[in-house]
Amino acid sequence: MRIELREVGHVYASGTALEVVALRGVSLSVEGGEVLAIVGGTGSGKSTLVQHLNLLLEPTSGKVLVDGVDARSLDRGDLRRSVGLVFQAPEAALFAPTVWEDVAFAPRRMGLSEGGVRERVGGVLGRLGIGHLAQRAPHSLSGGEKRRAAIAGVLAMGPDVLVLDEPTAGLDPATREELLGVIRALRDEGGTVVLVSHDLDEVAEVADRVCLLENGAVTSLGKPEEVFYAVSASPMAPATVRTAALLRDDHSGVGRPVSFGETLAALKTVLGA
Amino acid sequence: MRTLGQFYPVGSPLHDLDARAKILAVAVLAVGLFLVDSLIGFLVVGVALAACVAVSRVPTTVFSGFLRPVLPIVAATALFQAFFSREGRILVEWGFVEVRDEGLMLAAFLASRILLLVGAAGLLTATTSPLALADGVEDLLSPLKKLRFPVHEVAMMMSIALRFVPTLAEEAGRITRAQAARGASFSEGGLWKRARAMLPVLVPLTVGAFRRADELAEAMESRGYRGGEGRTRYREARFGPGDWLAPVLAAVVMVVAVSL
Repeated sequence: MRIELREVGHVYASGTALEVVALRGVSLSVEGGEVLAIVGGTGSGKSTLVQHLNLLLEPTSGKVLVDGVDARSLDRGDLRRSVGLVFQAPEAALFAPTVWEDVAFAPRRMGLSEGGVRERVGGVLGRLGIGHLAQRAPHSLSGGEKRRAAIAGVLAMGPDVLVLDEPTAGLDPATREELLGVIRALRDEGGTVVLVSHDLDEVAEVADRVCLLENGAVTSLGKPEEVFYAVSASPMAPATVRTAALLRDDHSGVGRPVSFGETLAALKTVLGA
Repeated sequence: MRTLGQFYPVGSPLHDLDARAKILAVAVLAVGLFLVDSLIGFLVVGVALAACVAVSRVPTTVFSGFLRPVLPIVAATALFQAFFSREGRILVEWGFVEVRDEGLMLAAFLASRILLLVGAAGLLTATTSPLALADGVEDLLSPLKKLRFPVHEVAMMMSIALRFVPTLAEEAGRITRAQAARGASFSEGGLWKRARAMLPVLVPLTVGAFRRADELAEAMESRGYRGGEGRTRYREARFGPGDWLAPVLAAVVMVVAVSL
């Protein structure tokens, strides 16, 4: 599945005193099987952008194409099932008495048989490592467990594209690492993930492509090393890139590492170890 | 970013008026409207209100939005008045339904009264920030403090409630969209089915509201809030000579309207 945004603009409360221009002519594609990271400061339009991927928000100008077809002509229910969107702090929308029931909400809405629902829910709970919490009440869980339950609730739809809006914000390092593991596993199975994040170090670990958003417009889009080394002196580059960029002045052999592993290998080369 | 709450933040002489002046003016108008008993009187009040709307720079589309929700009620009460009044000359008779001239008159009075009152109240909230409004109510009610009425607490509750309307509306919007992303649908099926479909929104919204209330209480206490005793304000509203103009003008208009 390929989603393409063409010159998408979005204006909130258009024509009133409270008007806010959130997106300005954003052109971007989400290719099947990639992890696309969207980074940028608060208020840069990231969350507005991702809500266009399943038309929870409609562009006020430009259009969204899904596999070449104008998304507006598609059935909204089908679109939302194939583009699973996990909001910021998604645990705020948990509502059922148990984790199991909450995760079963979407599969039931899809009309799966009771056996099919059971299989789906069991599968995603296991995949997120919270199978043992199935019968617990959501409000009794820790922050990280709630987050995983909420993500399971969207994964249970079996979406082609999973969109995660700051999925690791406020989580402890161990839970964060587990979630990154889930993202990698999804990609390895051919799934497509759109990851909105403030955590550049985690973007450096999992992203295939990076889109940098500033003030509602795309200012940079490409492979992580291209995007990050273009801004290597700014806070918008991950620590690995900033370190390697500083070392490159004296050691041209450092190359352009992005992930922690690549940077470590580059350092070892420079040190002759 | 939907906005609920009616404050329309633009600059205008009406926005600059002291909140107390505007509340008093609306109070004068509200009392006066029940004494007006001629169509020309209502017309005078209507023209005065229209002039205020023009001065306030609140767009007429926004202003008419305040009136829209009460239209069905106005229509229902006016029809009731017109059909079941038993005074005056009969104009139309159809079975047990009689339309009399007196009834039509009463219906028009009633409709004008409600619409003007709602319009004036709408203009008050459109031109006064919720905080200024709550402070104004507190000041106007302050004589009740002598009777041990918790004026400050009531005003504080009011301003907090108003302050959280947009926050809750935003949260409701976010939860609604989160559930829509999971395939929830809020527009299909009959009334019962739609009401049930709101459950996945209402449960987390209520839980969130209680959590927020707890957090707010703790945050207020940790910043030293101890109720109204000796509390000062960041913005002290001053009731200037110009502010007297609003209630006085309102009184003049009402006296004229009543005497016509």
